[in-house]
Amino acid sequence: MRKLFVILLLLIIAGGITLSLKEIPFGIPKTKIGDHFINKGVEETGSVNIVTSVVVGYRGFDTLGEITVLFAATIGLGAVIGTFRKNSVNREVEAASLIVYTGCRFLFPVILLVGTYIFIHGHLTPGGGFQGGAIIASAFLLMYLGCSNKRIKENLSKTVEMIGGLTFIAVGIIGLAIGQDFLFNFLPKGEPAELLSAGIIPIVYIAIGLKVGSELAGIIDNLIQKS
Amino acid sequence: MHIFGVIITGIGALFLFIGSLGVFRMPDVYNRVQAGTKCTTLGSFLTIIGVGIMQPEWFWKTLIIVVFVLISNPVSSHALGRASRKSGISLCDKSIVDKTKEFKGYQE
Amino acid sequence: MLIIVTILVLLMIVSAIAALIFKDLISAVIAACIVSLIAAVLFYFLQAPDVAMAEAAIGAALVTGIFVIAVKRTKRFEE
Repeated sequence: MRKLFVILLLLIIAGGITLSLKEIPFGIPKTKIGDHFINKGVEETGSVNIVTSVVVGYRGFDTLGEITVLFAATIGLGAVIGTFRKNSVNREVEAASLIVYTGCRFLFPVILLVGTYIFIHGHLTPGGGFQGGAIIASAFLLMYLGCSNKRIKENLSKTVEMIGGLTFIAVGIIGLAIGQDFLFNFLPKGEPAELLSAGIIPIVYIAIGLKVGSELAGIIDNLIQKS
Repeated sequence: MHIFGVIITGIGALFLFIGSLGVFRMPDVYNRVQAGTKCTTLGSFLTIIGVGIMQPEWFWKTLIIVVFVLISNPVSSHALGRASRKSGISLCDKSIVDKTKEFKGYQE
Repeated sequence: MLIIVTILVLLMIVSAIAALIFKDLISAVIAACIVSLIAAVLFYFLQAPDVAMAEAAIGAALVTGIFVIAVKRTKRFEE
């Protein structure tokens, strides 16, 4: 009886969402602020990727809030997992074979390079800090699964995360110290579609990429080591 | 040049279809892993190279992607086969020789 | 184009229902990973490459890895 009620409720919700979203045509901006971002985005912030110019340029303060939420989640996970100290029986995990070991050691710097490329070119191609950081964390997951005797040095990952977070806030405070707003774009904008363009946007994305990458790698490290 | 790229992409799609047919019909885990890995690696290789020939300015990027796939697919299938042998899945009834019984650590 | 999107959406619904029905928890995690993968492809069809890249990297790689580690530390079969 309860399953029937749940299925009926899900069908009503699905039908309601479909019927209301059918009226909106795809690809036409319905709000005036969408028009403003598309028409004037490149010349006001200098970055060719409009999503990046919205995330870091027009709405940079919300990105600071997102990073804070991710930081709080990592701290919460470390606090909860770290208290299970009575279960740390060190079971002997069998080492992987030679082929898997060599393959993982070969692929690890390649994946790090791809992740770094994605967050450095955040203002030119689709991508950015969060995507590049997630790819870097998946490279560390590969290393933990394939070669079971290599670990990240804990001080290194904490230092990188701290530098990333402080760089973002320092760039914002410099904008405040000049006399303008927080996260004001104070570097010269340059030509569009060059690597060194768009003011503070590459610097902010490099800081975000390093911070998110080392945070997620720290989560993986916490989960694997305490089991 | 364009027709050549279309033909190579078509052959790649055919190999991918044959690979999925093999995964469906083989009787054993180890046969399925073999069929899946060999056919899908070759199918991905031909499909991506075919797209690279159809648009010549993307050709070197597709070559890098193909090298990555060629290295990582066989390593993962090796890990899969070895892990399933160690966790006890036996070969199918029609098999003749099982050389892994000579090594210690591989229980029945 | 519409028929490819329809087939992908139906596959997503079937895989999501299968993730609820399976009793072996590792199979359920793989079914959830398939939902994330098809969502990443659909985001690419809707012309949003940033979101597709984020969904593929986080949903299909990291979340699946964390779930498998979590299942390994508790029991594997439901009920």
